[in-house]
Amino acid sequence: MLSPSCTLDHDGCVVCSDAGVPVRVVSIEGDDALCEDGVGNRSGIAVELVAPVAVGDILLTHGGVAIGKVEEVRE
Amino acid sequence: MKYVDEFRNGELARAVAAEIASITDPGRHYKLMEICGGHTHTIYRHGIKDLLPDQVELVHGPGCPVCVLPMGRVDEGIAIAERPEVIFTCFGDMMRVPGSRGNLLEIKAEGADVRMVYSPLDALRIARENPDREVVFYAIGFETTAPSTALTLQRAKKESLENFTVFCNHVTIVPPVRALLDSPDLRLDAFIGPGHVSTVIGCRPYGFMPEDYGKPCVVAGFEPLDLLQSVLMLMHQLRDGRCEVENQYSRIVPWEGNLAALKSMAEVFELRPYFEWRGLGFIAQSALKLSEAYADFDAELRYSVPGVRVADPKACQCGEVLKGVLKPPECKVFGTACTPEKPLGALMVSSEGACAAYYNFGRKSYEKVEIGTKG
Repeated sequence: MLSPSCTLDHDGCVVCSDAGVPVRVVSIEGDDALCEDGVGNRSGIAVELVAPVAVGDILLTHGGVAIGKVEEVRE
Repeated sequence: MKYVDEFRNGELARAVAAEIASITDPGRHYKLMEICGGHTHTIYRHGIKDLLPDQVELVHGPGCPVCVLPMGRVDEGIAIAERPEVIFTCFGDMMRVPGSRGNLLEIKAEGADVRMVYSPLDALRIARENPDREVVFYAIGFETTAPSTALTLQRAKKESLENFTVFCNHVTIVPPVRALLDSPDLRLDAFIGPGHVSTVIGCRPYGFMPEDYGKPCVVAGFEPLDLLQSVLMLMHQLRDGRCEVENQYSRIVPWEGNLAALKSMAEVFELRPYFEWRGLGFIAQSALKLSEAYADFDAELRYSVPGVRVADPKACQCGEVLKGVLKPPECKVFGTACTPEKPLGALMVSSEGACAAYYNFGRKSYEKVEIGTKG
């Protein structure tokens, strides 16, 4: 489960220009991927800046573009 | 395996807060600046300030891109948006930022075609769908946002779209921080570095803080525990006499940044010789414009934007708050003439602006202090 604090429809995050929204990749089509945030919102995200991506990856997105990948943290 | 949720654990937060308290020198005052507006928002929303010892002061930095945009650039955006052939697209926060003659929402009400978009790629789609109109995207933001604009322009060029341009107001984070460190009226001990900007640029660009100014920096994430842990890491450095750049947000921020994003930005943008920042004045090489290769997509060239300067309203003290010289409630018009419903200054507009964050989440603790002081 992703944090619901920053979601694709949260007003502050959508527009603030410096927040990132963590999303999970649901499916991939070319340079874009359908992604889902912590509360179930889905949106198409451009993923070529973090390629390659796989279904299930968690990405940090900003303004409809993925800018980073969330790495696993091992205990 | 951990991702995000674990960074909100209250029990862990109290333990980290207790550790911070245990290594705080009661005879010393610590001034830590959080550069990013997103951090300011988290600090107030989650009451981080109340978990820290009185000796640890968090100073809000210039990291809200909406807030640092000078009024002249707002007016110039409005002038483009008023052109009858233009569909003007922008992020939602920009709609309410006051220019000298009103804001984008007001001119939309008067008939201008202004549309809020979530992504510059949405603006590109609007351009494809309206080949007989000129679509302009109002690009704003630090290095977090610049890659999405760069990528959009690369796609526009690939498609040879002729009715799409960008009014570029992207800024860079390092020059204003350097300007703050050179400012004689501000004494800071250390910096909480911006997490999402660093996703793109990495941690290396902050090396000047310890090397040139002797100030530690910890790149931090945006959950409450991220911020508390970053404060603890800074307090450890200050206690131990160490001075370096550390990465608390390593689950997302690679030390070298996002090389694909940096390459995309390098192709599309070049540095402006100087740019005006609200409250900080003109700073050399602190903003981006479109490169020669993308001149056809540059709204400044297509609409001959003149580059006007407009002074802020006299009562507005956004500049002092941006520099950390004043706390938001110390501004003369905070909460009276300037509120989130009717903002006078940009810091009250954006939810990441220090004044809006303080107004929405921080007033209770401030009033408590005030009452205590008066009593």
